[in-house]
Amino acid sequence: MSTNPPSEIRIKRLFRRTRFGIFVLFGVIVVSTSTLSIRTVSSQLSEEYESNSANIAKNIADSSVDILLNRNLATLQSLIDQFVEIQSIRYIYITSGTGEILTHTFVPGVPDVIRDSDPFATEPVERSLPGMGDFVEVGSPILAGRAGTVHVGMDLDLVRLKIQRATGQQMYLICIILIVGILGSIWFVKLAVTPLEELLSYVVGLARRSGDATTDAKVLERDDEIGEMARLMLHAVKGGTTPGAD
Amino acid sequence: MSGSRRGSRPSNGPPVHARGPARPITPPSAGPLTRRAAIRAGLAGLLGAPFATSLGAAGRPLAPGLRWGGRKRPQPDDEIVLGVSSAFSGPSRGLGTELYRGAMSCFGQVNEQGGVNGRRIVLKLLDDGYQPDPCVENTIQLMEDEVFLLFGYVGTPTVTRVLPLLKMFQERQMYLFFPFTGAQPQREPPYGEFAFNLRASYDQETAGLVDNFVRIGRRRIAVFYQADAYGRSGWAGVRTALMRHGEKIAGEATYRRGTQFTSVMRPQVEILREASPDAVICVGAYAACAAFARDAMDLGLHVPIANLSFVGSENLLSLLAGASRDDPAYYTPWLVNSQVVPSYEDTSIPVVPEYRELMARYDPQVPEHLVVESYDPFPNSFVSLEGYLDAKLMTAVLRRIEGTPERGKLNDAVFSVRNYDLGIGERVSFGPDRRQGLQSVYYTVVEDGRFVTLNDWEAKFSEAGAS
Repeated sequence: MSTNPPSEIRIKRLFRRTRFGIFVLFGVIVVSTSTLSIRTVSSQLSEEYESNSANIAKNIADSSVDILLNRNLATLQSLIDQFVEIQSIRYIYITSGTGEILTHTFVPGVPDVIRDSDPFATEPVERSLPGMGDFVEVGSPILAGRAGTVHVGMDLDLVRLKIQRATGQQMYLICIILIVGILGSIWFVKLAVTPLEELLSYVVGLARRSGDATTDAKVLERDDEIGEMARLMLHAVKGGTTPGAD
Repeated sequence: MSGSRRGSRPSNGPPVHARGPARPITPPSAGPLTRRAAIRAGLAGLLGAPFATSLGAAGRPLAPGLRWGGRKRPQPDDEIVLGVSSAFSGPSRGLGTELYRGAMSCFGQVNEQGGVNGRRIVLKLLDDGYQPDPCVENTIQLMEDEVFLLFGYVGTPTVTRVLPLLKMFQERQMYLFFPFTGAQPQREPPYGEFAFNLRASYDQETAGLVDNFVRIGRRRIAVFYQADAYGRSGWAGVRTALMRHGEKIAGEATYRRGTQFTSVMRPQVEILREASPDAVICVGAYAACAAFARDAMDLGLHVPIANLSFVGSENLLSLLAGASRDDPAYYTPWLVNSQVVPSYEDTSIPVVPEYRELMARYDPQVPEHLVVESYDPFPNSFVSLEGYLDAKLMTAVLRRIEGTPERGKLNDAVFSVRNYDLGIGERVSFGPDRRQGLQSVYYTVVEDGRFVTLNDWEAKFSEAGAS
């Protein structure tokens, strides 16, 4: 039983699969890269802000000894006021060796959460202060805690916003790379598929003429593998033998 | 009591140099020194050496021997220029204006009578709006302009930022005379040697208030204070005074510097009301303290509300009188203000007639280009009387400098002031270990729309204390 060749044959399925494969591949790359990137940026920024807060707390603690010993609380207040002007630092308070809050930057008053907390704590702790927001608080002891403790509150909302901005910028870049990559891949696949379609079309033409094949098709002029295959097809249709077939 | 609007009138008082915003300074030996660098230097001074290096501008630490560059401006032979950075704008502009008016009424007469050893006293004015950073910048400007000394600064948060600057460049021997603040930093090491004070300290004011309250049975004392060095200074004074009586601060609430009278103080009042205080001591400026007194009265916190001398009593009273529609005295029955100068209404005090006469004669006004917002000055006020006394003592010190005025001679001139009579009944003496001239604190309450001396705490607040 003989079958007639189709009137128009295009390599849609092959292209569709390739395109699907590219999407899947790039998708995996984007998701994994983004996840890793967001985690890394988030973790590094959080650590950086926490580290900055800890450094500020330590610097204040190191500088406060003489001021505290002189009981010069106005100078101490002046000192911490300047640090609160630093972005992301939202509050600072200093407790004495007995746990009393000696100086702070809270308005209109010291929140109950702070009053009820451990005045000597130095480990980072997350706090939610009513009407103020969420904070990470770090502490630094003054004279090993005997003279008091400096507490620095970092605005978590602001840090989160900065992390979102940083990761958003990374996502933006990755998406652009994804789109450019997909478009580029499609273009490269098309470069490969177009000659194949020409070859297929030529082969279909050969089959329709049943041996009376055209000898002036452009595909025969190609000097690549497609041209070689077309010439081989023509040779076979004309009754020749494939080189190396015997 | 209120004066007429004169804020936009040109100055008709003694000569004044007034300048606009400051310029960058360039020291010749250590590269450009910007104001930002100097502000950081101030911060570094507060922090101490370890942190100073990391805070130096553009990674360049400010060496201790750093010299000021710029152009030297030798003072004219016929002038002694005093540098002033003060609050001529913002919610506390009344304080700077009144202090200036009092000082200029005295200097006006001095200059009219030939000045000090043939030199006129001239004030170079800069406005800092009662904000620390502009005050530091202004001080740098004044130092670059080679003023003879710094005089009449207003406020604790401003002065505490300037002190490290004076220490850092101590080889210039620039001294701050008679700042309008009773805080401790300019009275104690490490900065005490760079300032001379006339007024009593906040520690003395708060101790007096606490002692009197405790004496009449009001032991639960809360504090309402400005969230900065000034507020902390007063808070510390109250705390120390209460500790002597075996008490603690009953409650505390804060507000931000620059708060206006139109602000709502309900949160602060509610915080303090929960503490059930017998009295509240306010450590703030007049706008915020008036707002607090108003809201405390409206919300039923009926206990004595004390204010320190810095508040600006007439400004406070004027705001409260204006806030009560029907009865000007509605918000004032619980007020008690401490003062560091006697009442300007008491003409039996020798200096008072003299001050009142010169205020009326010269009626000094802040130069027009420094007037950002209108202000109605008072014919007389506690603050302008203090400014007058500051200027009177300053003149006495300058007269004690023999020959050409040089900063190196200032210490000796000040320390030679012994038992000097300013005309207020308290003699003034200075010495290497005595850098504050006056020790007295006076207490006043509102009667008939003005502050008068409080003589009987028991009668005023004890019976009425059923809150």
